[in-house]
Formats: sequence, C-alpha cells, structure tokens
Amino acid sequence: MSAIRVERSEAAAWRSRPQAASWHAFDPQLAFYALALAFVGLLVAWTNSAGAPLEPGSTFTRGLMWFAIAIVAFAVSAAIDYGWLRSLAWLVYVINIGLLVMTLVFGSGAAGAQRWVAFGAIQIQFSEIAKILMIAVLAAFLASRRDRIGRPATILGAGLLMAPPFVLVMVQPDLGTAIVFVAVLFGALFMAGASLRWLGLTAAAVVAALPVVWFQLRDYQQQRLLSFLDPTADPLGSGWQVQQSLIAVGSGGLWGRGLTNGSYSGSDLLPVQTTDFAFAVLLEELGFVGGIVVFGLFLLLIWRILLVGWRSDDAFGVAFAAGMASLLLFQVLVNVGMVTGIMPVTGVPLPFITHGGASLISMAVGLGILQGINMRRVARPDW
Amino acid sequence: MRFAVFGLIMVVVVGVLTTRLMYLQLARGGYYAGVAQENRLLQQPLRSTRGLIYDRAGRPVAVNIPSYAVTITPADLPLPQRDAVIDRLATLLDMPAAQIGQALDRNAGRLFEPVRIAGDVPGDIARIIAEERRRLPGVEISDEYRRQYEYGSLLSHVLGYTGRVTADDLMRLGPVGYLHDDVIGKGGVEAAYEEALRGTYGTEVVERDGSGRIVRTVQVTRQPQPGDSIELSIDVEMQRQAEQAMQWAMDIVKLQRGVVIVMNPQTGEVLAMVSLPSYDNNLFARGISTADFESLLHDPRRPLLNFAISEQYPPGSTYKLVTGAAALAEGIINDRTTLDTFPYMELGPNRYYDWNRRGFGPLDIYGGFAHSSDTFFYQLAGRLGIDRLSDYAHDFGFGARTGIDLPAEARGIIPSNDWKKELFNEPIYPGEVYHAGIGQGYNATTPLQVLNAYAALANGGTLYRPQVVRRILGPDGSVVRDFEPQAIRQLDIDPKILRTMRQASREVVTSGHTGNLRDLPIVVAGKTGTAEFGTRNAAGVIPFHSWFVAFVPGFGPDQPGDPAKTDSELAIVAFAYEANARGNAATEVVKYFLQLHYDLDVDLRRPDLLSEPFWGGN
Repeated sequence: MSAIRVERSEAAAWRSRPQAASWHAFDPQLAFYALALAFVGLLVAWTNSAGAPLEPGSTFTRGLMWFAIAIVAFAVSAAIDYGWLRSLAWLVYVINIGLLVMTLVFGSGAAGAQRWVAFGAIQIQFSEIAKILMIAVLAAFLASRRDRIGRPATILGAGLLMAPPFVLVMVQPDLGTAIVFVAVLFGALFMAGASLRWLGLTAAAVVAALPVVWFQLRDYQQQRLLSFLDPTADPLGSGWQVQQSLIAVGSGGLWGRGLTNGSYSGSDLLPVQTTDFAFAVLLEELGFVGGIVVFGLFLLLIWRILLVGWRSDDAFGVAFAAGMASLLLFQVLVNVGMVTGIMPVTGVPLPFITHGGASLISMAVGLGILQGINMRRVARPDW
Repeated sequence: MRFAVFGLIMVVVVGVLTTRLMYLQLARGGYYAGVAQENRLLQQPLRSTRGLIYDRAGRPVAVNIPSYAVTITPADLPLPQRDAVIDRLATLLDMPAAQIGQALDRNAGRLFEPVRIAGDVPGDIARIIAEERRRLPGVEISDEYRRQYEYGSLLSHVLGYTGRVTADDLMRLGPVGYLHDDVIGKGGVEAAYEEALRGTYGTEVVERDGSGRIVRTVQVTRQPQPGDSIELSIDVEMQRQAEQAMQWAMDIVKLQRGVVIVMNPQTGEVLAMVSLPSYDNNLFARGISTADFESLLHDPRRPLLNFAISEQYPPGSTYKLVTGAAALAEGIINDRTTLDTFPYMELGPNRYYDWNRRGFGPLDIYGGFAHSSDTFFYQLAGRLGIDRLSDYAHDFGFGARTGIDLPAEARGIIPSNDWKKELFNEPIYPGEVYHAGIGQGYNATTPLQVLNAYAALANGGTLYRPQVVRRILGPDGSVVRDFEPQAIRQLDIDPKILRTMRQASREVVTSGHTGNLRDLPIVVAGKTGTAEFGTRNAAGVIPFHSWFVAFVPGFGPDQPGDPAKTDSELAIVAFAYEANARGNAATEVVKYFLQLHYDLDVDLRRPDLLSEPFWGGN
C-alpha cells in the first residue's frame, strides 16, 4: 500500500502517462460475484439442455464454451491498458456503428427483425457488444469534458453521440436495447456530474417525445406494450408467454421444484425459455431463495462496480463504472420485471443468466476494463 | 452524494423486484403450483362464423346451420376398448370402421387434440352417442355450423362449396392460421371470396385437467371476428328462369351441356349464370362420401365444371361481330359497300363453302351479318389478314381472361401468325384466315367472353370486367365494399361502327334468320352461331354447338327499344353443346328465357325445330 500512496501525491504527473498495472489492486470481490453469476447461468443452461446437457451443441456445452472465452476476454481486457480506449475512442465508435450497420444488412432474427449476424453455426448479436463499446465511447467523451462537465453542451454532445447507434438498433428493430442505451446515457451523465437541472429537462423532453416514438414502433412492438397494459388485447401471443412465465415463477414457491424438475424447462410450454425468459426457469426450479441469491449477487456486483468509480480519480473511470452499473441495474429491472409480469416484453437479456455469447463476453470485457481501471488507479482510501 | 443516490435507486429497484417475487412465489405460490401441477393451460383457436351469401334481392342463398360433429380424443380412449368403441361408432354413424381407425391413426402423436370423425350427424344419433358416453370413452359430440345452400344445384357453379382443408391447402394456409380440420371455400364465390367470408379466428386460453379434458376457459385472448357477408349480383329468380329455359331445350334435344349467362351491359354485373348439368353443392357441405364424389368426378357429362367460364369452344358465327367491326374500322368496307356472295370460294385446290350452298347474291354488312353469309366474311377476313383480325378480337376481350371474380376461368384461343409460329412453327395459311373470320378453326372462346363482347357492343363500346358479387357487407350490415363497374378498356372502334353492328344485329332478328324471334313483343338484337367441331358422324353430319347471343335495347314489352341506342340493360348468351337439331337450340333457349323474364303471355317456342335432327344446311 505504501507504494500506492507515493503515486497518489504525484497524481497530476501520472495522469498523462501510461500507468503500470498493479495486480495488488485487483478486486477479487468484483471477479467473484461475476463468476458466481456466470455459474448460476451455467446451472440454468444445464437444466435447459432438455436432459442431454453434455451433448455437443447443447445449451450447456455452448454455455461452457462462451464461459471459457469470457474468462480469456476478461483477463485480456484487464491486462491491456485501458488508456488506448480513450485515445482511440473515435475508432471504437466507428467500428461500433459499422457492426450495427452490418447487422441491418446481413442480419436475421425472429418476427421480421434483424438482430443477429450468423457466422456459420454461431450467431452474434452485435447490439450486445455495442452496449459495452458505447459505454467506453461515452466515458471517453465525458472524460474529455471533465472541466466543462456541468454545461448543457455536455448533455447535448453525449446525446448526439448516442443517437446513431440508438437509431440503428431501433430500426432492427430492438426496442429493448435502444432503451438500454438511453438508461446508460442518463446513468453515466448523472454520475459523471452533469448539470442536474439540464438532465432533468432532457428527461422531461424524452418523456414528451414518447408519443412520437410510439408511432415509429413496429406493430408487434406496439402489441407487446399494449398486451402489457392489457393482456387480453394480444394477437401475437406475448400475453400467453407472460402467462406461462407467471405460472412457472409462481409455482416455484419458496425453495423451488429443484434443478431440472421444473415443468417448463425443456418443454415447449414456455417459449424462449433458453433466452430472455431463462430467469423464469431459475425462479421455478430454485424458488424465491434462488431468486434472492441472484438479486444479492447483482447488488454486490453493482456495488463493487460503483466502488471502482468511487475510488478512481479519473473521469473516464467514474463514467465507465457508472455506465456499467446503469447497464446492469437497468437490464436486471427490465428482464426480471418482464419475467414477473410487471414490465413489457422486450428483448433485454438478464446479464450472465440469459444464454448468449455476445452478452456474456461483453460483460467480461466491461468487467475486465473495470479491473484495469481499478489496478491502474491513483489510490484513494478503501471503504 | 450522487453515488448515494445511485445506491438508493439500486436498492429501490431490487426492493420492487423482491416484493414482486414474494407476491408471486410466496403469497400466490400455492395457486400457481396448482395450475402448473394439476392443470395445463392450452391456447386454442376460437373459430369465427363464416359470412353468409345473399342474392341481389337479399334472398339468403348460403347460410350456416347448427349441426353435430363426433370427435374422439385419443388420450381418453383406452387401447383395450378402442376396437369396441370404433365398431359401435361405425354402426351408429353408418360408416366403415376402418375409416374411423385411419382418422385416429393420422393424428398419432397429438393425444389431446380431438380428432374429427364425422360431421352433420343427425340429432337422434348424436343423442344416442351422448347417452352411451360411458361405453364410448373419449367420444364427444360437439356443436358446429355447417353450410347450407338454399338453392342447391341452381347456384352450385356460382357459389362453389365449402369443404375440409386438404394437406396441400394446409401447407399453404397453415402459417396463416388454418387448422388441420378447418373449413375452406372450394370453387365459385366461396373460394374467390374466402378471405372475406372466413372472418378472423380468435384465441382463448383454456385449462385442462390431469386427463387433458378442458375444464374451463381462463381468458379469451382474442375475440373471433365473424366473416363478412356477400351480396351476389345474381338474381335467383332470373337464374331460375335461365335454368328452366335451358333445361327445356336440353330435354328435347338431349343436350349434354348447356350454358346461359345474363348480364347487365351497363355495368358488367352477371345476373344469371347457368351451366348444366349441375350438382348439389349441399353434398359437399355435408361432407361428401367417397362414392358420391367419385361418381361426380367420373361422370362423362362433367357436372363439376362451370362451362360458362372454364371450357372454351369455337364461337362460330357469333365471332362475325369481330370480323365485321374490324373490316369497317379498317376501311375495307363501309356500311353501304356490297360484296357478292357465293356458294363457295376457292383457294388453290380447296373450296370454302358458304353454309347456304346457293349463295345470297350481293350483300352489305347488314345483310351479310343478318344472313350470316360465310363467303361474305371470308372475303373480309382475307383482306384483313389474321393479325389485324386477331388485334380486334383481343380488343373485344377474346383470347384473355375476362377477370370475372370466380376461379378457374379459361383464356380462350385467338390465332395469329405469332401464335401459330410459337405453337407449330409455321405461319397461318390463307384458308385458316377464312376459318378464323367465321369463328371456326383454331378459335376458342368461353361463353362468357362471347357475352362480354356483345355487352360491349350493346353499351356503346366499354368492355367491362364481369362480376358476380355486388357488395361485401360487414357482420353488422355495414357496407365493406360496394360494387363498382370496372372497365377493362374502351374499345378502339368508332362508336358509329358499333352502331352499325348493333343495327346489323337487329336485322339478324328482323330478317327472320332466327326463327320467329321477331314476333316477340320486345325488340331483341343478337347473333346466332353454329360452331362445327370434330368429325362427321355416321349420318355424315359434322357435329356442332349452337350459340345465340342477344341484347335487349331499351325498355321491354311496353316500350320497344331502339338498337341504335346504347341503353341496353340486358344481354344474354345461350350455348348448347352438340345441339343436333334442325333449329338453333340456343335461340329457342334465349326466346324462352325472354318470355319467362318479361312474363309475356305469348308462347313462341318451337319445340318442333328442336325435336327433329339436322340434315344439313344452317
């Protein structure tokens, strides 16, 4: 610790130079909670593998593969100096836009949407990667404006930066991811110290613009939102999906029906149980207790992420941590809310639990960068 | 400070979600566990009721009547009892046991889905089955609607019928919500307007108990929307008159096929469409037996075909309208030009005879058309050439589907040099041009095409798309779609020329060429046709079809109309297949129809002309 104290006094001098990583400052808790959540995700993959989890190509074996890749991605992201992200933020931004455009051109997906790009047997949802890349770009932008952070132009600039990916995701159409972008934008701006008055006004403007957005939505998106408001008005069956999800969740009770004992896992009664509704299977099989454990792990993880921001004296670090924390919290809210019938059905995954390589690897990269920030920080006193 | 606010938001979010979980899993956990363990929810379709069909006077012609169906749910039928149950049902329903077994086996794998065994089960049989339900596990009586056609065979070709979807239908329509035992319109208006008539199916979530039996409806997730109703342009009364007229002639001449179509030339509305022989579409609506279907399908008189639109025949002399109008339009003749007519014309070694082996002497277009002189029209066709003739034929709508709102319409054939080159790789020969000029040879038309061409003549030159539906009405009686006359095109022929041809058509009647049609107390204009086909029979006569196509200018019995005017609201075609009679059978049919339609108290029918076979001449 003494070595770090020395650095602190010379913080101003260090800032412009590449900083050496210190593995002493590696936050084991941050890694542990994430690993625990990924483990829970593998449990759900196991139970969703329709009785043959070890068959090649099953949800579980694919989950294992992505888990291994995620570990590597995490380590690499932590080891590489995140400083390049700041200096090459514009390049990251361009690549990000490119990936989203590619999705629109080559993409495929359900119900007329274009969400995935297929590489052989592997489908990649670039919008998941875009979430992390945009957090990095946003953080770099906010760091560059750290001296003028309180001006309204900061909010305007960040909004303009976010607009192209927002639109590109919206026309896929992927309403869920688009809203996640907005949540991340507000979370990062708020934590980075943007003017509260202007932030409030912007939020009010966004709310006022909702009717305009409504008419941009595809029919099925409108129907989903309507079916959330009134489950009897439901031509496309998302009300049916929610109905099934509620039965699965409710029948789990306090302790759950036991892993792989759920009536819905491995059956076709709960549509898309391996993707967006995976958490419903967990709640049925592991019950209220299992749900609370997962909530606890998410709370602890987000707390450790915020702590990285708190301890960082670097505006990039604060904004990046805030973006990550907002991303996690908002996705938990929307996905769990959907599964338990208090939020409309949107394609927002539950990080770590929902099976999907792009989502898991994005999380790993994000957490890796956070570890990097932590390890390269100019120390503050620990909590 | 902001970290604290974020933390607070975080706690609130997780708090809300936890509260929700407590409600679902702890407070209501027992309820949901019950639903999940003992009951299964099932989403199933709610069928809509099919729209009705009315005639133009509002008479219902296709309605839905309640009936019983027998179904078996395989899951509820224990294997040891299967044979006994099938045998008992076979006896009660009077159907082969093997058929029931096959129906069950086809559905293997879908144990909880009821398999439809029979429809339109008589009420007393349904009651017996219901009373014996202890001995018939898995067998259920369900209420359903079936189609009833109030006029049966009178309207079969226009209406078509409904029946069960086939496997092929399902491949195409399964994705848009058709069920494996669904009903679909087949043929006629039932098929052409399937989408409007069907309505929109709803869905409901039902709860099944442990044995799979449906115990209650949890929620109607979407209400079914009844189908729209259809108002035909057909008038049942006129349809009946047309059928009566044709049937009368068929009985005398022993015709195999006959067609009568009535149309309003001002709009293209079809007022009657009769194709005989017909069939009873109620047989299909009840679920036709294999034996009945096979016998209809293999009946040599082909009662399932609508000869009015689905088959094409040589138009014979009715086609002289095209040749005459083309010659006038191209300036080959004017309405005062006279041409000599001959017993025959020679082309190289071949002789092309007039039907009148003595010739008529010099004739103008009125006389040529009225007497239907073949050598007169050979000369016109020869000077026009096949391609110009074909252009005018296409202008009148020949050689192309009229686009009537019924399925299975034939296109017809109008020969041209290009057409023949493509098919036979040789040009049209001059003799073939002669034949084309009198509607023989390669020419083939549907009765509807012939009528439509004369309707365009009668209305002054607008070729309409014929329609059999006038309005589509919503379930509440509101008008969803109103009939609009749809013009295919304006004929590219001077109205004065059409006027000449209308007057020539009137001369066909006044000259006496049409038996005693001129004695009718109404003004009728039209054209006969005798279309030879095939080869000479044992008596040395080439068999022929007879045509008559007519329009009634102006008003009717009290106020005689003027064929020069374009105000006709009634055009009729009659077609008699292989009409071996001295007189023109089709003319007699049209005459009789007009007598019935205008309720005339004269009877000018000439059964004597029909009862004697033809010995030669026209």
